[in-house]
Amino acid sequence: MMHGSSDRARLWIRVFAAPILLAAATVTGLLAALLWGTVGQYVAWVTVGAPVAVVAGVWVSHLTQKT
Amino acid sequence: MKARTVRLWSVIHTWTSLTSTLFLLLLCLTGLPLIFHHEIDELLGYAPRPEAHASAAPATLQVVADAALAADPGRVLQYVSWDKDEPGIVMAFTNSAPDGAPDNATVRAFDAVSSRLLGPVGVGPMLIVLKLHTDMFAGQAGKLFLGAMGMLFAVAIVSGVVLYWPFTRRLRFATIRDRPSRRVRWLDWHNLIGVVTVAWALVVGLTGVVNTWAELMLSQWKATELASMVAPYAGKPPPVHLASLDHVVACAKQAAPGMEVAFIAFPGTPFTSSHHFAAFMRGDTALTARLLKPVLLDGETGEVADARALPFYLQALLISQPLHFGDYGGTPLKLIWAALDGLTIIVIGSGLYLWLARRRKRAPAGSDSFARRAPASS
Repeated sequence: MMHGSSDRARLWIRVFAAPILLAAATVTGLLAALLWGTVGQYVAWVTVGAPVAVVAGVWVSHLTQKT
Repeated sequence: MKARTVRLWSVIHTWTSLTSTLFLLLLCLTGLPLIFHHEIDELLGYAPRPEAHASAAPATLQVVADAALAADPGRVLQYVSWDKDEPGIVMAFTNSAPDGAPDNATVRAFDAVSSRLLGPVGVGPMLIVLKLHTDMFAGQAGKLFLGAMGMLFAVAIVSGVVLYWPFTRRLRFATIRDRPSRRVRWLDWHNLIGVVTVAWALVVGLTGVVNTWAELMLSQWKATELASMVAPYAGKPPPVHLASLDHVVACAKQAAPGMEVAFIAFPGTPFTSSHHFAAFMRGDTALTARLLKPVLLDGETGEVADARALPFYLQALLISQPLHFGDYGGTPLKLIWAALDGLTIIVIGSGLYLWLARRRKRAPAGSDSFARRAPASS
């Protein structure tokens, strides 16, 4: 039972770790630009842009694999 | 998650998405040019530019106000406002009456130094795009309807996150399966783009919903806070002679040290009483520049009558605006906003495609294909 539940937790983390990290980065960036002035803007560009970078990366790698 | 639970969430996800799809596409498509409305207005020649002055002193505000009235004979001034990013420009709102409808107002830009008319503001093709985006030319009813669509969007996002688990638990993150089936590939793209943009889509969606309630919130503020601010002056007639605008600004700045005036509402307009000017003050940081503080001033003498912070719901509304518009992090953030908007269009479009593809697949057999492809309970 213990073994099953820890497997399930590991699986849950594997599935949701990246989306949760990206969501946390996005929210941090959205608030950073509002609260931390110019430095916050730089943080926002990186963190809010992270989901776009992930999709672009997957798309490029998908195209590369096909060719 | 049991197959039955998955089916229930799938029904919620499908129908909240489908009901709002058309309107969400409209919002995303009109939102895209609105991210760059300053740039587009400039490109099309609809953005007034201040004249070049070598360290000249600004004209008195009263001179600018007189110029605004002269530019629109027979009408009255409702508001005078300043854009913090365009200090060389003063904007004047004129209307047929102090409480005239916002749609009947004319906004003109004046040079802050020479007080010369620079041109109209808020005209051109972007106004049509803005109206489509905010109320679809249906006024308050249109706004509230789009707000309801935004709520459905939020439910669709949450149900999408719930469904992400059963559909991807056997796959590595960001897997796009290389199958002959186009439907499977689009399902993977739909899941990936949907889950990585979830926080942004929720923030932009929910702040959009809050924005649709702006007029209701203002009505509530007027009925409670503003009413209590002007209560001691009940029964006082509208001012016969208005105080000089320069004196009003000086008194407002004294009442709110370290702040500057964002806009002034003239007596009788929806943002104040029939006897008072209201100066809405802003701070100088990214956050405090959004949080306005109203200062109420006597219409005849310019004396400060009251000043207090806005209630939490109006502060929430003001903070929600940059989070919806994406206009607070420079051009790179605008570009990222546009890319995320584009990705949201892909998620909505692929969702519609997946639904149609599933219906096509299901039609001949008459059986429930979802049950066939639903993951095993775990």
